[in-house]
Amino acid sequence: MNVSRREFIQITGATAAGLAVSGVGFDLSPVKSHAQMLKTVYAKETITICPYCAVGCGAIVHTDKSGAGRAINIEGDPDHVINRGALCSKGAALKQLVENKNRLLEPMYRAPNSKEWKPVSWDWALEEIAKRVKATRDATFEAKNAKGQTVNRTTAIASVGSAALDNEECWILQAMMRALGLVYIEHQARI
Amino acid sequence: MSKAFFIDTTVCTACRGCQVACKQWHDLPAEETENRGSNQNPEDLSFITYKLIRWNEKEIDGKLRWLFFPDQCRHCLEPPCRDTAGEPSAIYTDKATGAVIYTANTKGLNVNEIIESCPYNIPRASKDGILAKCDMCIDRVQNGLLPACVKTCPTGAMNFGSRQEMLDLAEKRLKEVQAKFPQATLLDPGMVRVIYLVAFDPMDYHDFAVASGYSRGITRQMALRKMASPITRMMRALG
Repeated sequence: MNVSRREFIQITGATAAGLAVSGVGFDLSPVKSHAQMLKTVYAKETITICPYCAVGCGAIVHTDKSGAGRAINIEGDPDHVINRGALCSKGAALKQLVENKNRLLEPMYRAPNSKEWKPVSWDWALEEIAKRVKATRDATFEAKNAKGQTVNRTTAIASVGSAALDNEECWILQAMMRALGLVYIEHQARI
Repeated sequence: MSKAFFIDTTVCTACRGCQVACKQWHDLPAEETENRGSNQNPEDLSFITYKLIRWNEKEIDGKLRWLFFPDQCRHCLEPPCRDTAGEPSAIYTDKATGAVIYTANTKGLNVNEIIESCPYNIPRASKDGILAKCDMCIDRVQNGLLPACVKTCPTGAMNFGSRQEMLDLAEKRLKEVQAKFPQATLLDPGMVRVIYLVAFDPMDYHDFAVASGYSRGITRQMALRKMASPITRMMRALG
């Protein structure tokens, strides 16, 4: 017996129809499915803006009300004027900014010419960054340009990022960079 | 009320929002993947990937066409997988929505036979023999939400609603699309709850885009079990 899949489906249909006509007087379906509970039913809802690109889609973050308050779901905000609930693949993966076993949980340092990254303390990392920024800035700071105009800048440091910062965090970052005199300030969302 | 999807591939941009939103909602892990010379990623559906945008480049009438096909379970009106399994605690149709649901009780069944029975090549087994596929986000739908893939779709390619609404929408879009692409067609609208609109030959999109596209025939045993399944079910109901 060689039946194509389409015919196969049709056979099933015919069998089901036959049953209906023959009028078996009781429910043959033993499966009683109950409405399932949403995993977000007891979650706290917080709205946020997707940090990934310049479109600025709105999203709802569901966090666990009990226990550690971890994110359990992030999806598009249907009330947001820009995306009305939609999110692209990057936005749909937002939860992984916080819930991902591959995330780095401590600062990593690779010394010049070394092939190895090693974990370091936040105190050490921040102090080292501050020291190096100050040294480079002091060495390259220009108060005035060749025409004598006040510029107060350094062109030896650039800031790139960060794609995981939201709008307000980005504002603080660029304000600090401008205060240092940086002119090369870039963000992934502009690209 | 009986539900259905309408997937308009002519407006799909293959952003893969649906693919990721599906993983996100179902808490499924990422696939190990590699560069295979195609933008399709991962390569195929799996036990942990229920939704996949298939990518195909075809030259049609002298023009390069980039064809995107958001593949997923069609939630057949009369699902061959359900009838092949013949085990309502493992594979059943949800009455209210029409969603075809797989449970962990698929373990121990002849999973290869069930996979073979699917005209659209959808179910996938885990290493320990449990089957999985799209569940229509039944938990969301029962609570009045859209399936994750439909909710996230930025272009309107993915639509969800009552079956009649989706059929009407599909017919309306088909007429519009046919003005530009005379070959445009709806895929198996009378048999499934996931109705695709494609602009070209369905076989250019995916070997299993339509049920008739791939016919290997079924075994005598499967056909017999299928015919007998209402009786088997009745016997079970009687205890």
